[in-house]
Amino acid sequence: MSWKKELEEKLIREKLSENLGGKERVKKQHDAGRYTIRERINILTDKSSFHEIGKISGSATYDENNDLVNFTGSNFIFGNAKIDGRNIVVGGDDFTLRGGSADASIREKHLKCEQMALSLQLPLIRIVEGSGGGGSVKTIETTGRANVPEVDGWNLVVESMGTIPRVALGLGSVAGLGAAHLACSHYSVMVKEKSAVFVAGPPVVEQIGQKLTKNELGGYEIQLKSGAVDAAVDTEEEAFNSAKKFLSYLPNSVYQLTEQLITEDNPNRTSKWLIDAIPRDIKSVYKIRPIIDELVDKNTFFEIGKEYGKSIVTGFCRINGWSTALMASDPYSYGGCWTSDTCKKVQKFVDLAETFHLPVIYLVDCPGFQVGLDAEKKGTIKEGVRAMSAIWQTTTPWLSIIMRNCFGVAGAAHKRGSSYISRCAWPSARWGSLPLEGGIEAAYRSDIENSNDPNAELEKITTRLNKLRSPLRSAESFLIEEIIDPRNTRKIMCEFADLAAPLRKIGMTSRTMRP
Amino acid sequence: MIYSEVSGTLIKILVSKDQIIEEDTDLLVIECMKMHIPVTAKKRGKIIDIFIKEGDLISEGDKLLEVVYDF
Repeated sequence: MSWKKELEEKLIREKLSENLGGKERVKKQHDAGRYTIRERINILTDKSSFHEIGKISGSATYDENNDLVNFTGSNFIFGNAKIDGRNIVVGGDDFTLRGGSADASIREKHLKCEQMALSLQLPLIRIVEGSGGGGSVKTIETTGRANVPEVDGWNLVVESMGTIPRVALGLGSVAGLGAAHLACSHYSVMVKEKSAVFVAGPPVVEQIGQKLTKNELGGYEIQLKSGAVDAAVDTEEEAFNSAKKFLSYLPNSVYQLTEQLITEDNPNRTSKWLIDAIPRDIKSVYKIRPIIDELVDKNTFFEIGKEYGKSIVTGFCRINGWSTALMASDPYSYGGCWTSDTCKKVQKFVDLAETFHLPVIYLVDCPGFQVGLDAEKKGTIKEGVRAMSAIWQTTTPWLSIIMRNCFGVAGAAHKRGSSYISRCAWPSARWGSLPLEGGIEAAYRSDIENSNDPNAELEKITTRLNKLRSPLRSAESFLIEEIIDPRNTRKIMCEFADLAAPLRKIGMTSRTMRP
Repeated sequence: MIYSEVSGTLIKILVSKDQIIEEDTDLLVIECMKMHIPVTAKKRGKIIDIFIKEGDLISEGDKLLEVVYDF
């Protein structure tokens, strides 16, 4: 007697689970321009690498002899797989079954998926659509009682934020717990026009008098600017590629370090045009992204959170083959001043680098915090000191290159005061407690007011102070360690990356990051 | 539609109604945090309407220009 019969029934159940929510629901999913969860996992992962866990968990119906009549899988599918030859854990909602909600879910599968990634110390990719296993009003009827809200396993989510890379892809309408899973990640992506993310969708919001479409309420233009989601792409395939690209810069967990990749880009490559990159006119701006692309290993800059807190550009790159976290000021947004959102972006990014042991390079052009009533209303100083504290708490190797402005408290946050950092400046650097413009009027008010020609007096003082604030004068007093030729910046960065590599230490940070 | 990404004072309008604009060209200049920040075209288009005038105080999110991209 063999066990063939049981295995045959198992295969039948597996086959039935591949039907998802049934032909009609699957067609609806396709008609809306979206893949099913099984198709998504197939496209995302290396061919035949997906090892599904719990494929025959779900709900079955039986005849009077207790023989199987039908079987429907649960609406959360997960397992381990490979992407680009590397092991990961992937889990995703089946929207064709009750919109991914708890009614058709098995709670333990979500927990097991989180435990699996955390315990195996593998990156987790969550594909979210619908309510992400959260409850719906219908749950009251199916269970015959209302539940006291709780999120089982959130401790695992919190722990994994400090242990393994978490990527979340929102590939349709995402609400409630689903939105929470999207936001609780190191990197999140949505698809333009096809994804919308919100705490509660349009029908609920209408109850508070807001009649909005899904896109108006939680489309990519809203959520990228709000910082709830990091990126938006045109297709699901692009979302999968973004996830792969993001993970390519990170180790599997904090217990590993990223390896140096072979680069054909010369670490000593000079960049002639950088001598002219910063305009002499201090009111003029310049584009930072071409400068970044010039300095990093060719075609390796991967920007994160482009539409949020735009005064700072953040992203991963390779420097002489080493994975590196790069921050750079963008004068096109508030002249590079740190807004409240910028400060929040810096907090998250610096924590991300610290968590996964990536050295940080910061290209500095920060005239200070944003000033004015708007800035005060948004609590800029509060978020500012949180960003400073995040920087101060880092231990990862750090290089700051001051390209232009470095003023005030936000300027001071170009370095941590708690331990050694590498630092240098371009000859275009300007610094101080306050920019001269506006600062002179405040500090020399009586001299200017008591002068017969206030404008001439202001001009005289400005000229005098301008001569004194040359960065070479600061270097004379060793207030700045080095003034470098901008054309040699890449060489300095590559040398830093080589020096930093052996200093990286594995393990969890003492204070793990929050999403 | 092009909205302002910063708050400040509009100091220069560099385009006019019905003008064809090329990607990456400067359309307006806003003085913000003592800097002159251009508003640039993200892609080729045509100016349909201009909602502001030089000297206006601009807030983040204000409507600046209406642009069509298929014409």
